[in-house]
Amino acid sequence: MSMLNLNLPSLANTTNTKATAAAAASGIATTSTQQCYIHPVVLFSILDHYLRRSESQDRVIGTLLGVRSDDGRVVEIRSCFAVPHFETEDEIQVDMEHHSSVFALHKQANPREQIVGWYATGGSQLSKYAALIQEFYAQEAAPFSAVHLVVDAEMTDGELKLQCLQGSPIGVEPHSENCLFLPIPYELQYQDAELTALQATADSAESADGVAAIVSDMEQLERTIEELRAMLDRVASYVQDVCTGKKKANNLIGKYLMDMLAVVPKIDAKQFSTLFHTHLQDILMVAYLTNLTRAQLNIADRLQRIA
Amino acid sequence: MAESKNQAKPMTSLLNEDGDMSSFDASSIPKKLLSVLDIDKSEPLQMVKVDPLAILKIVKHARESYPTPVNGQLLGLEVDGVLEVTNSFAVPTQSEAENDMKNYQIEMMQFLREVNVDSNSVGWYQSTRLGDFMQQPLLDVQSSYQVSSPNSGSSVVLIHDTAKSEQAGNLSLRAFRLSQTYLDLAKEGKFTTKELADKGLTYGNILEELPVYIESSKLSSVLVKELQWPSGIEHELLESLQRPSSFNAKLRAKRMVDRSAVADDAEAATDSFDGGLSGLIPARPTAYLSRPMCVNALDLSQGQTGSASLLRQLEAIGDLIEDNMQNARDWMYWKRGEAKEKGRRQQYVQRKAQANAARLARGEAAEPEPTEKELDRMFKITPEPSRLDALLNTANLNLLTKSVTESRGPALTKMFMAQSLHESK
Repeated sequence: MSMLNLNLPSLANTTNTKATAAAAASGIATTSTQQCYIHPVVLFSILDHYLRRSESQDRVIGTLLGVRSDDGRVVEIRSCFAVPHFETEDEIQVDMEHHSSVFALHKQANPREQIVGWYATGGSQLSKYAALIQEFYAQEAAPFSAVHLVVDAEMTDGELKLQCLQGSPIGVEPHSENCLFLPIPYELQYQDAELTALQATADSAESADGVAAIVSDMEQLERTIEELRAMLDRVASYVQDVCTGKKKANNLIGKYLMDMLAVVPKIDAKQFSTLFHTHLQDILMVAYLTNLTRAQLNIADRLQRIA
Repeated sequence: MAESKNQAKPMTSLLNEDGDMSSFDASSIPKKLLSVLDIDKSEPLQMVKVDPLAILKIVKHARESYPTPVNGQLLGLEVDGVLEVTNSFAVPTQSEAENDMKNYQIEMMQFLREVNVDSNSVGWYQSTRLGDFMQQPLLDVQSSYQVSSPNSGSSVVLIHDTAKSEQAGNLSLRAFRLSQTYLDLAKEGKFTTKELADKGLTYGNILEELPVYIESSKLSSVLVKELQWPSGIEHELLESLQRPSSFNAKLRAKRMVDRSAVADDAEAATDSFDGGLSGLIPARPTAYLSRPMCVNALDLSQGQTGSASLLRQLEAIGDLIEDNMQNARDWMYWKRGEAKEKGRRQQYVQRKAQANAARLARGEAAEPEPTEKELDRMFKITPEPSRLDALLNTANLNLLTKSVTESRGPALTKMFMAQSLHESK
């Protein structure tokens, strides 16, 4: 029989109380999670952990941290950390001491983040110990249910598949080993600041050796404008094709394009030119003043060195 | 995908199970890591390569506690003058004692080592708001890193500006280290005008900037590709198209709840969809998400043209200029005091000499000349106050004005873009 061997001395000799607590935990109907938001940093952390696993390991697991809405239905997974574990044919050992100490440390830097679940890498199949680990994390995440994130880092289907699951007790008598994993809808959440970082990462992923320099704002703008032009060209050629009858018209796309054209604000030409020129003058004045300040600094510095 | 298989081999395979060095096979070490074992060799740092994981962690930490500045630890390795930052962790902001902080870092690094993360500190990061990060504490912390680390100097500080990244739609991350000139002067603690001029330390060379590169592993490249072009995106695109006015091309392809607005079209669209959308979807998937990731770069009102952030920056510049004037006045005051004291000393010496000459003329024995020491005691010349504050002030002023000047370029470009858009109508 397989068992979850918690590497925690205090828990080891109180198996009885633990068992009853577990029964109680799985007996109480916990609020189920209905929506899950994932921050991209979590995925990068998991992949990094997978790359740095020990040679004998096939999969890695770790704890997910995040915040919940007040009723516990919406979960936002904000960060995670790795937990070392060791599994054999019929036993699994999870270093729970490591788990709780690292969580305590995380709590100091990020007081708001709580344990919301756990992650594992692996193919399309769940680990056979998943139910056991799920039970442990359900206790940690109580009174809410724990989320289980599975990342297919081996890319068995040729893609990095993400699965967001939650455990649900199954059977007449709730038993820790019986657990049904149900999928939860998830969405990746991107903040503006993260998007800039992902943008830079995407640039590096596109280059041959995976290295890219961080570009200046001006270069970034140039690339964006080029991309925008390419998009406009594509739309223009599509419209052209529809007009000449090469392609079948699609009402939906037509409406969408109409919508888009409608938002371009209508400004009176005279008003626009006034706005344009005042703004232009502002920009030039600020540029002039800041340049002047820098010149002054430079002169002062040189004078001091002569003196 | 074949490449990523190769990469997926665990990095720890270099060491055998119990990390026994005696059976360590040097030939199995990749060539580029060989120089790590060569401890005596030291090469000056050329550049900094940061893993996306470390960047995302920094960005997240800085964003969550914005506008409070935060800092944390960088972990990684230095190879042949290239500093590779592979991981980072946040350090609590409100720590009670210095000791707690040290313990926190040491413990965290121990735990990370257990899961095979590079447990080698290569510096730290700091977030900034306006860009005037040249502060005394920063220099102190950085100098303690650079002086204490065994292979001295291979520590950097990464400066991340959340507001600037968001507004300009471009990641703002810069790597700095203290110059040797500053370290030498700081060791002696003498920041006088003469020393500064002799050693050539100016506001521009307190910190040396290192170029920052992003290096993503094969697996994270795959992840980014997946994020940009997830499977089933065509379906999602169609759905988002069905939502009226949904074209702010944010990544969040949120599932539509209310389709009633175009409900009559929706059915017709799904079957006539075959060739319809494919004309709009670029052959290279990146165009869908890649550039719109930084859609903020095109935002006229939000960019650095944004009056609010510009106003804050200009206010800060104004304050700094005022401080600069005050510093200059203080220095002039000291200089005048010094000149006065020197003049009085000169006079005294002359008077003494004249008196002695008169005595000699009268045939009396001359009084002993006052020694330098006695003179020093009689006329106290206040030592020059440290010029470091003024220097940092100037450095900040330089940084701020430079960033404002640089932001004018994109602002102008966007202005003219708006103009041509307006005229083309």
